[in-house]
Amino acid sequence: MAAKKLSKDKVGEVLRELSKFRLITPVKSDDVVIYREIGDPEEAFLDYGNSTVPPKKVVFPQTETLFRFTLGNPELREKNVEEEGTTVIFGLRPCDARAMSIVDKLFSWDFEDPYYLKRRELTTLVGMACVQPPSINCFCTSLGGSPFGKEGLDVLLVDMGDHYLFQSLTDKGSRLEEVLGSYLEEATSGDEEKAASMEEDAKAKIVRSIDPQGIPEKLPNLWEHPLWKRVSDACLGCGICTFLCPTCHCFDVQDEVEKGEGRRARMWDSCMFCEYTLHASGHNPRPTRKERTRNRISHKYSYYPKRFDVIACVGCGRCINLCPVNIDILEILEQVVEA
Amino acid sequence: MKNPYIPYEAKILETWYETPGDRCIKTFKVTFADEKVWDTWSHRPGQCAMVGIPGVGESMFCISSSPTEKGYLRFSIMKVGKNTSAIHELEAGDTIYVRGPLGNWFPLDEWKGKNIVTIGGGIGQAPLRPVIQYIRDNRDDYGELTVIYGARTSADHCFKDEFQDMMACGDCCCHLAVDVEEENWPHFVGFVPQLLMEVSPSPENTIAVTCGPPIMIKFVLQNLEKLGFTPDQIYTTLENRMKCGIGKCGRCNVGHIYICKDGPVFSYEQIKDIPEAFA
Amino acid sequence: MVDRNKLRETAKEIISRDDVRELIGYRAGTYGFRARPAFVYDPGEVDQLIFTPACVNNLATYITLEEKLPVPKGQEPDLRKVAVMVKGCDSRALIQQMAENAYDRDRILVIGIPCTGVVDMDKVQARFPDVLGPGEISLEGDKFVFTFDGKVEEVPKEELLADKCKRCRYPTPLVYDILLDEEVAPFATDDYSDVEALEGRSQDEKWAYWEEKFSRCIRCYSCRNVCPMCYCNDCILDRLRPQWIRRSVDVSENTVFHISRAYHLAGRCIQCGECQRVCPVEIPLMELNRKLYKDVEELYDFEPGVKVDAPPLLSSYRPDDPEDFIL
Repeated sequence: MAAKKLSKDKVGEVLRELSKFRLITPVKSDDVVIYREIGDPEEAFLDYGNSTVPPKKVVFPQTETLFRFTLGNPELREKNVEEEGTTVIFGLRPCDARAMSIVDKLFSWDFEDPYYLKRRELTTLVGMACVQPPSINCFCTSLGGSPFGKEGLDVLLVDMGDHYLFQSLTDKGSRLEEVLGSYLEEATSGDEEKAASMEEDAKAKIVRSIDPQGIPEKLPNLWEHPLWKRVSDACLGCGICTFLCPTCHCFDVQDEVEKGEGRRARMWDSCMFCEYTLHASGHNPRPTRKERTRNRISHKYSYYPKRFDVIACVGCGRCINLCPVNIDILEILEQVVEA
Repeated sequence: MKNPYIPYEAKILETWYETPGDRCIKTFKVTFADEKVWDTWSHRPGQCAMVGIPGVGESMFCISSSPTEKGYLRFSIMKVGKNTSAIHELEAGDTIYVRGPLGNWFPLDEWKGKNIVTIGGGIGQAPLRPVIQYIRDNRDDYGELTVIYGARTSADHCFKDEFQDMMACGDCCCHLAVDVEEENWPHFVGFVPQLLMEVSPSPENTIAVTCGPPIMIKFVLQNLEKLGFTPDQIYTTLENRMKCGIGKCGRCNVGHIYICKDGPVFSYEQIKDIPEAFA
Repeated sequence: MVDRNKLRETAKEIISRDDVRELIGYRAGTYGFRARPAFVYDPGEVDQLIFTPACVNNLATYITLEEKLPVPKGQEPDLRKVAVMVKGCDSRALIQQMAENAYDRDRILVIGIPCTGVVDMDKVQARFPDVLGPGEISLEGDKFVFTFDGKVEEVPKEELLADKCKRCRYPTPLVYDILLDEEVAPFATDDYSDVEALEGRSQDEKWAYWEEKFSRCIRCYSCRNVCPMCYCNDCILDRLRPQWIRRSVDVSENTVFHISRAYHLAGRCIQCGECQRVCPVEIPLMELNRKLYKDVEELYDFEPGVKVDAPPLLSSYRPDDPEDFIL
């Protein structure tokens, strides 16, 4: 489908049109950018770097009900994701969309995860190309991504100054384009060529990198290497690097009951937490931060590619930017390469 | 397709204690509340299921009955934590929920015509029980069956009546042990790996299956290798904390393997080079 | 400013001692102007050590963070000392930890650093977003000097100084075995004007304010894990039997989490501000802690982590303790 143009002064109307769906955009709350459902188009904060919490939470909520029950009644009432309705995430970054396509592999592997997959089916992703890399620690280009990457997106918007270049990329994108037909115009001639050169400029502005070649095969051989103790010495064992990672997908399952009404729910969990692998017997196969850090890196860069042929990291840089003690995955990977 | 997170409602038919103490083991015989579930249910020896109570939670247990035992499933559960303590409160007639079957199984079809040695310790006999039962129910398909089992004391032995029956019946060769000397104990005194060397089964056309505490498995593996067993002749099961049971929630991995989905059954050949498998 | 050569020479002497296992200090970070914790086990590693206004981390946390693994059969437990570099505020955490018998004084060797204030790294990052670095920060008079990529820039200290330093009463460590420099006279006072501003709001205003903040919480527990006073091996917030707080993340459970944590820090929080610094969603946790700190000081004339021999406030009793707030 031919590219279109979305004038910036029509973005408000577009968002109003899209609010007939469940519309999720970046919003600013104090100095923190997060994704949440908006009512008023004014809430959308599109002039941002990247969000603190990745948009994975839209398709994989931090806490979600699997089924409900009433104590004393054997019936289990399955949560119906369909009820959430058609969802549009407007303005997410290409790395975060690519992360979703990576996580899709896990949730559709063997047993299909009905909650995640239904929500993915219901969700249309409208991406916003990174004309400027959002942070100094971006390294998407090292992992096959791009600041203008299209993987996982249904529509890609490129900020051309007074308007966006609107490229629909999938059937879902085409349907969205139809919905927005009256707000879109023919693309300005030369925009696509200009976008291509902007992409090259944006790539050139990414200053950090790693060559992942060989790392997946090498990691299992470094099991007893002293680097794991050294890189985890400063680790606090908190969940920042995993919760804020757009590809981390581990969860806990807990039952909750209040006044006889209960639910079984799942919630994000982190392999960096001590309790994560703690057996009921008290035995813990990963007793210290060393084993947990080794697992985090190995899972992303070795176990996941071994099973799904793709590294479970998109180079968004959140784990580096937000680590309280400056543990830096690129530095760890460099040590792996050198080891 | 059925939602893999929704368990089946089941009724407890019968319960009994296998062992006493704080960490007692209780066996639950259950059937599905909806008889029709049996039409689609099929499990194989070694497979697991999530067993639980809505409002408390669920945990993964091996199905300790063989598919040749029709009309019920058996679970032998040690009381160790929140879920198992709540399950231990249940009695015949109570409702329990079962989600499965999950995981892989012992390749009993491939083992036809071979001799089988099972080496179990404590609650580790639970996944071996369906193997033994399956072979006894298909006795002509297999060669010699040697059962080696031990626990700390004779009171800590699971499936006591069945061992008595096996010893009397003569369709298998059964060797029992207790760790420490006790009065009127007619069998072996010592640890399971020692009993294994005492029995000294031949590796010729034989598969060894072992399950028990990690320290026992470690020495059993060493001793099996001493006896001439190669890693592809040895099978064991692994366990880890699990939540989803279907390879999503992440926590049960050892290396790139998800125990819940790729396991719990592994040949030693498959896991001997994964250091985390024995962590 | 601490002389870098003196710092490294001292560290070398310390880590060479037979009775010292490791030394925890600071080294340059991996990007921008960051510094980060350094763990030194060998005299050959001391040349990475630094102390600059970028050294924001409270290293006292690591004394209690270490996982205690069972000692293998036939081995002796390693009872050698851990040497740790502390600023004034950080030293108070050591005092409070020891007052609570978290460990014995002879387990640690304290290297005190008289501190002239550290930066607010978020503000530095916002000011120099494109600097890959590693750049260096130093303090000259009333200016922070940023050196990077062959350039030098000066910024008035006031603009980038961490909030906690603007009201620091104890810039010189209150406990140490070795002090690396001359004592620094207090350069700030705490008038609690920020707390009073919050106290002035109505209950509804306060609830609306905190509801919005707590709704952002993702329960990564970085606030708890970074806290030098949150060192329980078995935190009640993790417990399942009984479960005091649900794992599900919503404003109600998040509120229970933060309020419980704040109460557990009453009379214990030493105002290092690490919880607020590390929060990825910028919940102003120090507003809670400072309110309790002020109450404790007003009611009991007590400041935690100041006097080496003072018993912990909430586990000691004086006949003249105020009690008019007891219902």
